[in-house]
Amino acid sequence: MKANITRRKFMAATGGVAAGLTAFGATPSKLFADEKTVKIGFLAALTGDAAGWGLPGLYGVEIWAEQINAAGGLDMGGEKYKVEIISYDDEFDAVKATVGAKKLLFEDEVSIVLMLGITPVQAVKDFMTRNKMLTTTLVPTDISEDAPYLFAPVEVHPFYNVTAVDYIARNMPHIKTAAIATQNDELGLSSLATYRAAFEVAGIEIIEENLFGFEVTDFAPVVSKLIAANPDVITWDTAYPDYVNLLTEQAYLQGYKGQFVNCTLDQYEHIMSKTSKEFLEGFLWQFPDLDDPIMQGGGTHFDNAAAFYQTYNERYPGAWTAVSWEYAAALEMWRSAVSQAGTFDPPAVAEALRSLSPVPHAFGDAEWWGEDFFGVNSAALGKWPVVQMQNGKAVIVEMGDVRAWCDQHLDVLKKHFIELGVPLAG
Amino acid sequence: MTDLELILQTIMNSLIASSFTAIFAVGLVLIFGIMQIVNFAHGALYMVGAYATWYLYAEVGLPFFASIVIATFLTVVIGLLMERALFRPMRGNLFGGLIVSVGMMFVLEVLVVYLFGQGLMKNMTPYFKESWHAFGIESVTISHSRLFVFAIAAFILVAFWLFMSRTRIGWAMRACAQNPEAAALQGIGIGKISMLAMVISAAMAGMGGAVMSPLVRITPQMGHPVLVTAFIVMIVGGMGSIEGALIAAVVYSFFHTFVTTYIGGEIATILGLALMLLVLIVKPTGIMGARESV
Repeated sequence: MKANITRRKFMAATGGVAAGLTAFGATPSKLFADEKTVKIGFLAALTGDAAGWGLPGLYGVEIWAEQINAAGGLDMGGEKYKVEIISYDDEFDAVKATVGAKKLLFEDEVSIVLMLGITPVQAVKDFMTRNKMLTTTLVPTDISEDAPYLFAPVEVHPFYNVTAVDYIARNMPHIKTAAIATQNDELGLSSLATYRAAFEVAGIEIIEENLFGFEVTDFAPVVSKLIAANPDVITWDTAYPDYVNLLTEQAYLQGYKGQFVNCTLDQYEHIMSKTSKEFLEGFLWQFPDLDDPIMQGGGTHFDNAAAFYQTYNERYPGAWTAVSWEYAAALEMWRSAVSQAGTFDPPAVAEALRSLSPVPHAFGDAEWWGEDFFGVNSAALGKWPVVQMQNGKAVIVEMGDVRAWCDQHLDVLKKHFIELGVPLAG
Repeated sequence: MTDLELILQTIMNSLIASSFTAIFAVGLVLIFGIMQIVNFAHGALYMVGAYATWYLYAEVGLPFFASIVIATFLTVVIGLLMERALFRPMRGNLFGGLIVSVGMMFVLEVLVVYLFGQGLMKNMTPYFKESWHAFGIESVTISHSRLFVFAIAAFILVAFWLFMSRTRIGWAMRACAQNPEAAALQGIGIGKISMLAMVISAAMAGMGGAVMSPLVRITPQMGHPVLVTAFIVMIVGGMGSIEGALIAAVVYSFFHTFVTTYIGGEIATILGLALMLLVLIVKPTGIMGARESV
């Protein structure tokens, strides 16, 4: 019997599907037709390993835009502008980031581009600079002297990781040894350098390290070796949310009883459902829930933080991660700069942004920092929370002073960055 | 934990990894042996098994074991459709089969994104939450979820071996794998045997995904690294050799797990590929592969 589907037919069909998918992927996520609109570009991973630090951020930006538009729009020079978010998925890939950046600048004509950092930012940095486009990253190791329009206005990854280790040193004197497992990429290595520096300053000895690649599907052997070293504290460093999830579950299943300190603990309710409330009790990390009492005023700069958190969780239950609020916080700062500049023109807004002092950071007043490390003061450095799991809920236990720590121990930090071959400037 | 306890723990970890790798790789080898098709969609079937189990168990609320059965049945149905519509016309056409299987892989991956969205992995609370202390040693622990994977894999592999070695249909499948033309001349229906091979292969992939779903990242691309491992196993074991795949799965899994534990996860992947190259240099046909006569 002759087959109904020949290879030619199949190729034509799959070719059509591929073309359709390409067209679908290249379509902006939202379209508006308002007369006075300011467009904001969002270029980060919406799929793939890094999606946990892209997609939840897009949700937050959309909520921020809705709140602005519901209030009549963004005020600039006495006129109201509707905010339109245009997003592209860069899949944490350099080529896709380049395509997305060109679309955002030349077709969509956005006023600012929000990005996650590392590979995609490095790929488009020169292009953004040549076109004088204001761009934000969540990773300050991206910033450099030759990129005057690139800012790290919110997250100072991985430097804030020192605050939780410093908290341990002051409050948990029984902790003397640490073990680290992390993903072997730019995020993991820069964070590893920071944890090494923080543990050295805290007088905690690192007795085991294990770097793993993205092809790892079974984390049991990674965790077995760490637990075998019998450390007082374990860190997964900066690992993708899914990895933290599985690594922590493995530690639970293999009977680990010690302390954890980590960069993130995204979707901790899920992790708790796989382990137990008791197991996660005391876990230290760096990203709060925005309904925390400390985030409601008192020197912080994220308007209606609790309402934002509530809206987010109602609309996207279980999707809250470290970045859910961060891109929105960058836009809050951008709004301040726009108000000061009286224009949406990216170079003018960049100049106004750089002139902000103090910088109205979500966690309190900050200052532009980075010249000693990156050659340019484009990272907003100030305070950063130390978060602890208490009775099944994230609680800010203190606001650590990242700036003071960096000023005091910059040489130690630099030493470990150089030892691991992590570039000091992007 | 003492050095001996760590070795015991690593052996336990290796056994679990071997069992899963074996059922996944054997399914892949079976299709290659019978149909001469390198099925790139095998990893996607594994992914479908995991997604279906997550959806039925964690979202719909069906019992865990019922979810596994339904998920396996679903992958078998998809496998049958693939065999009838894609693989049968391509039987013996290595390149054509490769193209259609890659296409099928993308179709299934896009389909789950369309149905279940994208972003972070799908979470499911494991049915088994406790661990077993192996040999009564407190620090040597294996979770019940992983023991379940081992038990299922062992059952499937033993049943498969009995089927292939003790039944007439199994003999017919082996005949088809060795020489399809000669098998056809003996009255063996190649089409039916191919369909049966696809049922078994898809069931192995789907059930593998189903039982592994509480332990791994459930994402549309979750089949990719597993597929790469299976290809290494298939090449090391000898293309088309089921016995070779079984031996290679154990060797590779033990090697990879021990290197991950004692040296590092990143190095393990590099050395795993180096192991494959070494085997190909020493024995180009793989451990159990037969030399082709011209």
